[in-house]
Amino acid sequence: MKYALYLGCTVQSEQFGFEASVREIMPKLGVELVDMNNTSCCGFPALSSVSKTAWLYLTARNLAVAEEMGMPVLPLCNGCHLSFIEAKHYLAEDSDLKAKVDNRLAKENLSYSGDVEIVHLLEVLHDKIGLKKIHESVTKPLEGIKIAAHPGCHAIRPSDLQYVDDSENPVKLDDLIRATGAETFDYPEKIDCCGSQLAVTSGRSTLKIAGEKLQKVVSYGFDGLTTTCPFCFKMYDGRQRAIMGTMKDRTLNIPVFYYTQLLGLALESDPDKLGLMLNQSPVDALVERIMEK
Amino acid sequence: MDKPVLVIGGGVAGIQASLDLADRGLKVHLIEKSPSIGGVMAQLDKTFPTMDCSICILAPKMIECSRHPNITIHTLSTVKNVEGNEGNFTVTVNKQPRSVDESKCTGCGICSEKCPTKVKDEWQEGLTERKAISIMFPQAVPLTAYIDRENCLYFQKGVCQVCSKVCPAGAIDYTQTEKDIDIDVSSIIVATGFQEYDPIELKEYGYKRYPDVITAMEFERLVCASGPTHGHLNRPSDGKIAKRIAFIQCVGSRSQQKGYPYCSSVCCMYATKEAVLIKEHDPDSEVTIFYLDLKVFGQGFQEFVNRADSHYGVEYVRGRPGEIRFDPITKNLKVWYEDTAKGAAAEKEVDLVILCSNMEARPENKPLAEALGLELDEWGFFQPKDSITNPIETQKDGIFMCGCCHGPRDIPESVAEASGTAACAAEVARRYA
Amino acid sequence: MTSRDKSDFNTKELEEAIRKMHSEVCDQCGKCTSACPVTKEIEGFNPRQLVTKVALGQIDELLAEEAIWTCTTCLKCRERCPEEISPYDIILVLRNLAYRRGLNYPVGYDDFIKGINERGYISSPQQMRTRDGERVSRVNLGLPEPQVPMRMNAFKGNLEELLKAGND
Repeated sequence: MKYALYLGCTVQSEQFGFEASVREIMPKLGVELVDMNNTSCCGFPALSSVSKTAWLYLTARNLAVAEEMGMPVLPLCNGCHLSFIEAKHYLAEDSDLKAKVDNRLAKENLSYSGDVEIVHLLEVLHDKIGLKKIHESVTKPLEGIKIAAHPGCHAIRPSDLQYVDDSENPVKLDDLIRATGAETFDYPEKIDCCGSQLAVTSGRSTLKIAGEKLQKVVSYGFDGLTTTCPFCFKMYDGRQRAIMGTMKDRTLNIPVFYYTQLLGLALESDPDKLGLMLNQSPVDALVERIMEK
Repeated sequence: MDKPVLVIGGGVAGIQASLDLADRGLKVHLIEKSPSIGGVMAQLDKTFPTMDCSICILAPKMIECSRHPNITIHTLSTVKNVEGNEGNFTVTVNKQPRSVDESKCTGCGICSEKCPTKVKDEWQEGLTERKAISIMFPQAVPLTAYIDRENCLYFQKGVCQVCSKVCPAGAIDYTQTEKDIDIDVSSIIVATGFQEYDPIELKEYGYKRYPDVITAMEFERLVCASGPTHGHLNRPSDGKIAKRIAFIQCVGSRSQQKGYPYCSSVCCMYATKEAVLIKEHDPDSEVTIFYLDLKVFGQGFQEFVNRADSHYGVEYVRGRPGEIRFDPITKNLKVWYEDTAKGAAAEKEVDLVILCSNMEARPENKPLAEALGLELDEWGFFQPKDSITNPIETQKDGIFMCGCCHGPRDIPESVAEASGTAACAAEVARRYA
Repeated sequence: MTSRDKSDFNTKELEEAIRKMHSEVCDQCGKCTSACPVTKEIEGFNPRQLVTKVALGQIDELLAEEAIWTCTTCLKCRERCPEEISPYDIILVLRNLAYRRGLNYPVGYDDFIKGINERGYISSPQQMRTRDGERVSRVNLGLPEPQVPMRMNAFKGNLEELLKAGND
């Protein structure tokens, strides 16, 4: 299994823990990740908000690079993934729009046919590698640990354009959590938004939206939260202190992991290789507990 | 000598058409695919807007059908093939074996009591179980047991046979086989009714995910005295008496995605009826109907809704809920909605949610339409010759239709249409006598 | 670089796009609003009312409001609308329109666009802080050099032209 690895802005410039943990665990599961050259921001959300054509051009150029490489593209960010899916759809639907974008791509010696396959990290792990293989590869099951799944809005909606997982009752991340040996259970707020896209206009509201979900997660007795989106992770992990301040609630100090970090621990990878030192939420106690077993 | 008329479907429409024809001296073959006639109306608790007990007004008609010298009821039967034209149809009817001799069975029910195999009871909307041999419901016509061979230990594994051992009338007959019979008729009346739309694809409502989200038909059985809870509002999850209840209208209706764009015609009224039933059972209950519009076009309908609101205290909120949430701590349900009259998003905690689901065409319409040489509309309903001037005639002369087989409508309309088709069929019989 | 020429605007395509989104079919059911996380937080944000305003042609009013920039793109509205209207997609077009007409938009977006124009990405790789207060770079973690567009001039040229007025 070979995928062109598309990082996106947030991962490439900040969320090294995600990238490191993905690069660390994929070879162990038989997946080869090939770096891309000549890529750029996918355009979500800033460019899609100001100019649809500029946004489609930005996204299409990355898809064109993947097509050149002759393999499916795996974007690490939920937002980038949705951007890719939407662009593929719109450009297939509207030939005038595609012509405009093609003109621009040609100036960079790029061409986009629309055949590219786009996969989500959850699909690669759950469907392509498969739960069985993951379960069999785990050497240190994360027993006795309850982790809440947060797949993120753009992994599960809109269901008419993509089907990574069920939009109302997504279970793939839950299955993946269980494959590491950890426990999880369904909770109603699982499909709720982290609010990160609101940060540009209303910081306080963003923190409140994220905080209300964290309150629920904590109230259900979870030991930690996991996600596969860098925007969501940034909110729950990087801004956890700010959330606690806005909500005036000190109990919201819950460990937040990228799923690939959790899986890495279950595969007995070195925590440093998983970038765990970069998680801002209080992960140490849980990591120690896992390592001790 | 007048040829008989074929009526396909033993619900209230088919029953009414049969009685009208039989009373004016014509012979009728009433074809019903399940073990008893009665249809959906037999499953309802009360009818709107009069709040009559549904089976109480239907059962006398069902019995009259069985006793009428001019009516022959064929249960467990479907129409397989139709040849010929108006005045001269030859219909091949396929009869499935009941495995019980109708002439001997007294309807005592001992076979059912002793049968070891339990199966989900479709007539009770899956809320409880029946046995592999059972009488469909207490007022069934014929009041005869029936063996569900797919779940019967004898037919599947060659063992048991307890029913034949305990039957005091010696009515069990495992040797019965299916057979086809040909009937010559002058005209055909289609009255195959409807089925409830399954709201499972509206995943935001959590049907089948949360046990306390039920459909209206399930609620009818819950609130009915002959239902699994004897009419007490014990909610499915934990049996707790539901005191706060929400109705959601337009489920699978008026929708471009999931469900159908057409209105179900009866839900506003039956929700109001069910809300009033709840309030009568328990005046302290809190009942909210989340509606989009209130379709109250019939005689007495608006007054009924007004009474529900002002006299019984049913709350009407204009807004389609976006999501039903389950609270794992309180085990209650939360309805997320916008009160569009106020423009405010809100949530309401309830014990039970009732989804007022659309009426959809039965899948059996398809093979039946093929046999009859008719075309169904895009939703699987039978089509009129002309929706304004010939609404109960089909595209084929001599074939008429009434009731929900050609779209959602309520009981009075179905009954009126049934009488209309009976008149049409009588005219054909006269012409070809 | 990001010239938003206020004089000459071809917004016809955008207005056409809004027309195609069938806001007039909305039967005001409120499913969108009931699920919207922003409605619960921010006064004055209500997807149903937004769609109503579009249906009534009150677009200019909407473009001047901050509301169109406060959607969190969660897509619940699009997912659930029985009439297949997407307030999210309508909001994006309104945003495009507002930008084209030189109206208010979040300050942060200028930085994003500037960054993308300079290096293909919003920002360069940062030195990220660990829990212990140390600084860690991509290189420290053994991660490869950042990916960037190869033909920067062509890239910049494309972006500039696309963002200029009239090039929808």
